[in-house]
Amino acid sequence: MKNFPHMARSGTFVFVGLVWLMTSQGLAAQTTAGVSEKDFLEEMPIILSVSRLPQRLDETPGAVTILDRDFIRSSGARDVADLLRLVPGFQSSTSFEADAPQASYHGVYGYYSARIQVLVDGRSVYSNFFAGSVAPGLMTVMLDDIERIEVLRGSNSVAYGARAMFGVVNIVTRHSSDTLGTRAALTRGENGIQDTQLGLGWRTENSSMRLSVDERGDDGLTGSNGHNRVQRVNFRSDWQVSGNSNVLLSAGWMDIASGKGYANRPGDGLRDTTFENKFVQVDWKEVLSPDQDLVLSFSHNHENYRDVAPYLPIPGLNLDGSGTTSNNTLTAQHTLRLSPVVRMVWGAELRRESVTSRPLFNTAEAIVDDFTRLFTHAEWRLRPDLLLNGGVMAEHSSVSGSSLAPRLMLNWHVTPEQTLRAGISRSFRPPSAFERRSDVRYLFNKRLLGVTFLARGNVAPEALLTRELGYLGTFPWLKSTLDVRLFDESFTGYIDGVPYLVQLDGKSYAPYDYFNVDNFSIRGLELQWKGQPWPGAQLGFNQTFSRMAFQRPPSETKLPAAMPESTSTLFLTQQLPSGLQFSLSHQYSEPLWVQRSGDFRQYIHRTDWRLSKSLRFGHRRGELAVTVQNQGQPYADFDKSFLFERRAFVTLRIDN
Amino acid sequence: MTQRLRGFLLGLALCLPALPGAAQLLEVKVGIVPSQASAPYVEATQALVSRLASQGVPRDELEIWSPAELAALPVARLSGVKVWVALGTEAATALAQVQPKVPVLNALLPRSSFERVLRASGRRASARFNLLQLDQPVPRQLALIRLALPKARRLGVLWGPDSLPKAPVLRSLASSQGLALQEARLDEGTSLFAALQSVLDSSDVLLAFADPLVFNSSSIQNILMTTIRAQVPLVAFSPAYVRAGALLAVYSTPTQVGTQSARWVLGVLANQALPEQPLEPDDFEIGVNAQVASALGLSLDAKVLHQALKRQEQQP
Repeated sequence: MKNFPHMARSGTFVFVGLVWLMTSQGLAAQTTAGVSEKDFLEEMPIILSVSRLPQRLDETPGAVTILDRDFIRSSGARDVADLLRLVPGFQSSTSFEADAPQASYHGVYGYYSARIQVLVDGRSVYSNFFAGSVAPGLMTVMLDDIERIEVLRGSNSVAYGARAMFGVVNIVTRHSSDTLGTRAALTRGENGIQDTQLGLGWRTENSSMRLSVDERGDDGLTGSNGHNRVQRVNFRSDWQVSGNSNVLLSAGWMDIASGKGYANRPGDGLRDTTFENKFVQVDWKEVLSPDQDLVLSFSHNHENYRDVAPYLPIPGLNLDGSGTTSNNTLTAQHTLRLSPVVRMVWGAELRRESVTSRPLFNTAEAIVDDFTRLFTHAEWRLRPDLLLNGGVMAEHSSVSGSSLAPRLMLNWHVTPEQTLRAGISRSFRPPSAFERRSDVRYLFNKRLLGVTFLARGNVAPEALLTRELGYLGTFPWLKSTLDVRLFDESFTGYIDGVPYLVQLDGKSYAPYDYFNVDNFSIRGLELQWKGQPWPGAQLGFNQTFSRMAFQRPPSETKLPAAMPESTSTLFLTQQLPSGLQFSLSHQYSEPLWVQRSGDFRQYIHRTDWRLSKSLRFGHRRGELAVTVQNQGQPYADFDKSFLFERRAFVTLRIDN
Repeated sequence: MTQRLRGFLLGLALCLPALPGAAQLLEVKVGIVPSQASAPYVEATQALVSRLASQGVPRDELEIWSPAELAALPVARLSGVKVWVALGTEAATALAQVQPKVPVLNALLPRSSFERVLRASGRRASARFNLLQLDQPVPRQLALIRLALPKARRLGVLWGPDSLPKAPVLRSLASSQGLALQEARLDEGTSLFAALQSVLDSSDVLLAFADPLVFNSSSIQNILMTTIRAQVPLVAFSPAYVRAGALLAVYSTPTQVGTQSARWVLGVLANQALPEQPLEPDDFEIGVNAQVASALGLSLDAKVLHQALKRQEQQP
């Protein structure tokens, strides 16, 4: 400032201007340095707008099970599919034989689990390859990156499109600002278990980022060719662009290398397969006002599956099931509060799915399906104790035509602690590219040896009409909650493969084609009870009863056992002194037919336990845990010759 | 906004029925100095003016000057003024420099801004230069938490250099009410996020005290998102925070500040002295973000809370 008169005398206005700029900036800095009335009187960017707020559990249009971080960790599970067996109505496997460990809701139909939707941070992750299987998608993220898993039990096509036929598994990963610093975990144990995880998180002024690298490995089920290794790299960045807008960027790579096949089956011989997945997702969220926001989202996904096995009876002939897929999805979603009692969301999605596989489709060309989806969903509070949820999704597929999936659900808070739900919905699943277009031929020296699948496209979408009654109550007694779902699901046009006779080059073959072969209904009840019976304890009990009913004899005798008639799970966690925690879970499942074993029915009695001790390394926290999965007798999983034997392992974890 | 400015101009016109030249002839008894012509200052000015008018102070005995006009005014113009009202920090700074011989009531600024003005001008709070503070008394904030969140036992606080002076009061009140404080102190260079995380880990509610080092428009996104993810409600100090996503706030509106200032101005005009110690706001509002409340499983009614809190304060 002393220079000021000197400079002014020199007559150099530029300098004067500069000094003025500098001093005025100095003043501005000074006024922001301390508190003033501005801190009390000025506006703030809106953070929590209408769509960012979760619905209360007793106001969701359907039954929801939430698996949070604590539950995930104390369960001892190593992947999402294994966790979902603790959700009422779910069936799951640990086998990598089909593609990756599968989980399905209300029944195991066919070889792949394709009738639920799986979302990771809103991105649909079903595979275009394995008839729409969600199993590889369930593997996309390492468990420690998951904030919570919301399982919507019941059809939800209205909100999440055709794949959400029976339900939705919504995996929400942790915000990158919650995973700053370094995390690491090492697991070693029986069955060749070797899991290694490393997470790095850092932040800049307006953004935070996370990079997670992990490997999950084991020797698979006893009796199978399983030696499975999953390697993943996941990146997530949350960038606060301005007060009201932020950008989520995530990208990842995954490779599932697994051993498949049987020594004694020439057509399904021992081999190693790899499934590679790459994705990128960008979400741009703009908060327009406290009552409105807009999300634009783009994702790209690429899959590469390699599965080649020599056909031993004919040296030189390979059985190939390889292929690549890609999909691009663009979504715009506008959420708004129309009045204090009505909020709604509407939007549109364009999605292109493309799959290329000469072995499966007998063409080098990509098979493309373009989806256009329009959706709207409104929540209308008719009275303080009455909430009506209504919505509709219109979907057009360039291959399977149009469908309309509506849903209506009424939630009545009989008392603030007791809620009754009643609702009806209709949902669809269009046939996958394989079900429409498969053309699997085996040629040797340009001679056609066999045709196993030859689809003619005579297949319509499957439809599910769901009627349900629900109850959700909280009781001060044992600090518990009870959720009951009574359902009647009417399934029409179930798609399955049926062999038929065809003449090709003058010879007869009996390939499979896909048809809408069965109509049936599933009726039953699901019950989920959670409580805190004594200090430091969490106790949970799930029970499902169900019955499948067919008007005509089913085309496949195993189909009526696609869903076990009764399953129960019990879960207990107890905090103990000196940072110890003990958890115990037991699963009981009545017969369920397993994939490739004739009339063999699988019973599951599985008990897992885990004992952990929290540790401190300077300012860091960590944990040492011993987990035993299936403490009792081995049970058959996926195939009667594949046994899940006891697996004990130790995990050492250092948290950020 | 433009409507409010028009309202302000209208207010000015009402106060100055005559031309400036003519005004010189009249005796101005109350000098009002709003820091700016933006909405909150205009609202406070309007409330002050209309309250004084309704209590029989003739409009031509009031005059409104901007801080810049005040500095340029000839001393003769100031001589008739019996009481000054400064609205906001800038006005308080300007009046501290003018050093009038009559009482000055500073309003619409927080306590620590006022203390900064005092330090800069070498003054002390007194009956001649006093404050009606904008920030709420700590007992009121605690009472609100006890009413709205009766189950909360652990209270998290992030202190910055400007809010730290409130720490001793909060500590003694919290301990007498059985609340456990989880505190973290922030300075330039300390990581807000790490401090917030450590406080949230062991808090049932986070109480925010205005401090630009901690709570500002660029930090608030992360703070609110983190508190919501941790399911820890934020109790804030302004309605803007409630709109942005805080659960609750207790605050005084500029209109309430103007009205309460008018009561003290009337006292001075009736030859009563201002108190020696800074005044706390009598009247206040409570804001509730209903969406956040319902997401946290709470059902809160701002009106009910306001009435209950008023009733508590009126009890001896």
